[in-house]
Amino acid sequence: MKTIIQPIFQRYWNPYVVLLIAGILSALYFGLTSTVWAVTGEFTRLGGDLLKLFGVDISGWQYYDMVHLQGSTWNRPDGWIVWGMFAGALIMVLLSNNFKIRRPQQKRRYVQGLVGGIIAGFGARLALGCNLAAFFTGVPQFSFHSWIFIVATGIGTYFGAKLTKTRWWKGRPTLTKGAAKPSTVKKRIIQPYIGSAIAIVYIGLMIYFFATDQQLLGFGALFGLAFGILIERGQICFTSAFRDLFLVGRSVMAKAIIVGMAISSIITVFIISVYDLTPITQIAALSTFVGGVLFGLGIVMASGCETGMMYRLMEGQVLFLPVFAGNIIGATFLAYAWDHLGVYNVLAKGGTKINLLDSIGPVGAIIATLAMLGILYALTIFQEKRYHRNLTMKRGVKTHAS
Amino acid sequence: MQAEQEADFTLDLRGESCPYPVIYTLEALQGMNKGELLQVITDCPGSFRNVPEEAIAHGYTLAQDPVKNGQEYLFYIYA
Repeated sequence: MKTIIQPIFQRYWNPYVVLLIAGILSALYFGLTSTVWAVTGEFTRLGGDLLKLFGVDISGWQYYDMVHLQGSTWNRPDGWIVWGMFAGALIMVLLSNNFKIRRPQQKRRYVQGLVGGIIAGFGARLALGCNLAAFFTGVPQFSFHSWIFIVATGIGTYFGAKLTKTRWWKGRPTLTKGAAKPSTVKKRIIQPYIGSAIAIVYIGLMIYFFATDQQLLGFGALFGLAFGILIERGQICFTSAFRDLFLVGRSVMAKAIIVGMAISSIITVFIISVYDLTPITQIAALSTFVGGVLFGLGIVMASGCETGMMYRLMEGQVLFLPVFAGNIIGATFLAYAWDHLGVYNVLAKGGTKINLLDSIGPVGAIIATLAMLGILYALTIFQEKRYHRNLTMKRGVKTHAS
Repeated sequence: MQAEQEADFTLDLRGESCPYPVIYTLEALQGMNKGELLQVITDCPGSFRNVPEEAIAHGYTLAQDPVKNGQEYLFYIYA
């Protein structure tokens, strides 16, 4: 028993394997439901639900018509993707006995998290998707807006990384002389039992959905759960994929995400051709670019994007409460600004929906996508190498001078 | 814990989220003299992987295997 339990719950899974499975599952989810794995659209709807709860009349807001604000979050498949991801992550955290209330020592993090969360939420919805619908599941839909979004996010995270490096932003840790004692470990382990109980209740709920013919809710709950399990076990962090390349020359997450997207694209092109489905295409406009830059900056400021935030919150990282709140505030504010402050007219009106499948056909689309991903992969390796070359040079200068 | 060399410095990063544990660790190591031992206590799950891997990628060596202590990890790194 122990030989099975150990690698599953005591160690994190290889991010390549995790993102490969996530890429396959998201293509499958599209094939089954004709919708994609996404979260921020639902965050916007949650904001709308809250506004309605406080008596605000949002019936005239265009953005809420566009994202189909209907029913409650419990009756929406996208809602169950979100709650399923929370549940899946929480179950995994508990089964691996890794839940702990983690409060940042640097109090400035809470402000950074809230502000970053708002900017990231606003930017994601401006671009019509976060790192999922405009990135990981957007590229495999051959929606050109995701290409713009990736470039823009890269630019945003670059500036975010610059900000992170400044002294007033990162703060100073307490470096003490000598050794210090670690925390005492509790002997009684109860977290796995709580995790198992939640898992049983959740499985019951999924059975209920399928038994009562609510297939879409069932698939949402099932795939949400799977995505939650995967991102927690793989510690999948889209924020770090870009940021850590600039900060410490770390490339593993970026490479794994690119590989996952390549697989997902190949499977999706087959699914679309065989089942004659319509790919999900979003407007490509100036709003995509501006939104992407804001999103990239915001996720680095907040230390996590809309997806990474979810499993970190379940691990007990208190910082991600203001980030979650910020994401919803930002997304809701964008929904308001869309027509009330003229955001649509200025940034999105001139845009068009461009899908590579329509413009250059399935063969062209998959070749172009794989070529683009190949270039991204090469750039990732280039940046990693550049970072380490500069590091060696700096070291050389230092040794020589001293 | 087994008899290990007494750490010269300790970086207690409990509660801090990524990327700050790895930034702080690399900075602390940069400021120390070669051969001195740094103890890092961290509980950010992302840092369980990126702190030791990046310490090595930046040319430092681990004094011993990482120690899992409940919901946190201890790393011992030579500057």
